[in-house]
Amino acid sequence: MRTQAAWMAAGIRWRSVQALWLRHAVALKRIWKVATTWYLVEPAFALVAVGFGIGRLVDEVEGVPYSVFVTPGIIMASAMIHAIFECSWGVFYRITGGFYETALTAPVTVTELALGDVAWAMTRAVLTTISVGTVAVVFGWITSPWAVGMLLAALLVGMEIGAIGLIFAALSPNTHTLSLVFTVVATPLYFFSGSFFPIAVLPDVLEPLAWVLPLTPGVHIAQGFAKGQLALTHLWSALYMMGLTAVILPIAIHLLKRRLVT
Amino acid sequence: MPIETTRGPNTQAIIRGRDIVKRFGSTTAVAGVTFDVMSGETYGLLGPNGAGKTTLMRLLSALSPLTGGELMVAGLDVTHQGRAVRKRLGVVTQQDGLDTDLTVQQNLETYGYFSGLSRRESKRRATEVLAFFGLSDRANDDIDHLSGGMKRRLAIARAFMMEPDVIILDEPTTGLDPQGRNLVWEKLAVLKASGVTILMSTHYMEEAAALCDRIAIMHLGRILDEGTPDELIARHASTEVAQLRLATDARTAVRAALAASGFAWREVGTTIHVAAHNGQRPQVPPMDGVRITYRPGNLEDVFLAVAGRGLGDK
Repeated sequence: MRTQAAWMAAGIRWRSVQALWLRHAVALKRIWKVATTWYLVEPAFALVAVGFGIGRLVDEVEGVPYSVFVTPGIIMASAMIHAIFECSWGVFYRITGGFYETALTAPVTVTELALGDVAWAMTRAVLTTISVGTVAVVFGWITSPWAVGMLLAALLVGMEIGAIGLIFAALSPNTHTLSLVFTVVATPLYFFSGSFFPIAVLPDVLEPLAWVLPLTPGVHIAQGFAKGQLALTHLWSALYMMGLTAVILPIAIHLLKRRLVT
Repeated sequence: MPIETTRGPNTQAIIRGRDIVKRFGSTTAVAGVTFDVMSGETYGLLGPNGAGKTTLMRLLSALSPLTGGELMVAGLDVTHQGRAVRKRLGVVTQQDGLDTDLTVQQNLETYGYFSGLSRRESKRRATEVLAFFGLSDRANDDIDHLSGGMKRRLAIARAFMMEPDVIILDEPTTGLDPQGRNLVWEKLAVLKASGVTILMSTHYMEEAAALCDRIAIMHLGRILDEGTPDELIARHASTEVAQLRLATDARTAVRAALAASGFAWREVGTTIHVAAHNGQRPQVPPMDGVRITYRPGNLEDVFLAVAGRGLGDK
């Protein structure tokens, strides 16, 4: 009841957030066959190629076979791609296609739409984590029951990266600038967030940079759950992600309002 | 300029605008508009592109904040009660804004969710609304498979998901072929008869004349005059207008003759429309190479007369 009161104080109607989430779920259900390739097949390619390919060439990393080491990182990278794509390209097309204008003629607000999109980014992150995670379990690269906790990491990644994606949707005048989201965000995060190698092996100059990247703490948490070994650093990582979201999301909402309510 | 509104007995203003101003940076899109729309009437904003019609409708739908003035819908203040206002309105934007990822039926159901309906209510209402708009057999179609007229009807249907008190239509038939336009008009006529209040914008005089009880003529962000189509025609146009179709070489002679007779005229391509200042049939003398026909004065004459004067004031 108390959280409900807090929502109402902020003028946010949970039902509208749910409505957008439901719209996304209905749209996904219509195209689930194609969507399977995004949620499962594509990230599974990365898992198989890196795990079986590079895994054969590399010995143990941090005391486990390379394929086991790389699995949580690849899953989080996929979660990140889903979240960023949904909230940048997805939202951009919903703005330019007039869909948001239409939604706003109903009694909903820009804030509620933004929260609905972030909620959906979190959902997509969870869906891909479940599907690729299942493949990894079949390969024997995930063994600890604690690995279920990776879903928590996926939620955090979806929320935080989704908020970042919204900023690109709000600011991009066209798809050319929008594509920067891949160059500037997705690609560096994919490679430098400790997914494919421990951050400690980076040159001293780059190491601290890699630690502040928004995906790094997500990968760190996922690796902790995959191993079943959790430490206080995982809690700090989670707090860092929540803190970053608390800063970025209000900015994103402000920018979206500026674009949509003129 | 205060505008007198024609008020019938027992009518109540459901939309009430006073000195509405909207600026975008240094551009003034709406420059002090005052108007009332009575419950149950169809009110038209008539004007060319850039007159401020769309901006005014966005202000009304609480999609855009006012720079100045006061705007009330069903007793609610648009500035402070935006969400409550939108609950009472069905808004059809110029862009259909249909969701191409969803089917026809799903488009309506989703809008129902946004309006706060449950999934079950949304489904029931969507089925009803589709039937009313003659789209039931297209319920499971992709949006991309609909014709322009059907898309527009679906966009209007969507605005009826919440049983609105007022429906706001921004140029409901722009971009439609004549057949599509007729289908939309037909539906609007039925809705109008059902008693819903309609505020619509258009730049088609024919559309305004056919559907609207009262019309506001908008130009450069202002309402220049307001009234029923007949009132406006009586006030600003002749009962009859002469149309002169002429051979190209006759033009100079015709202009001289019209100037001498003291008639007002405007040239549209090779046709000259002539009106007498007393509002009666202008007695244009027969001339060589000129074919003269007479037609009743219409809203286009009104618009050009009013907008012409509006420009002259500046």
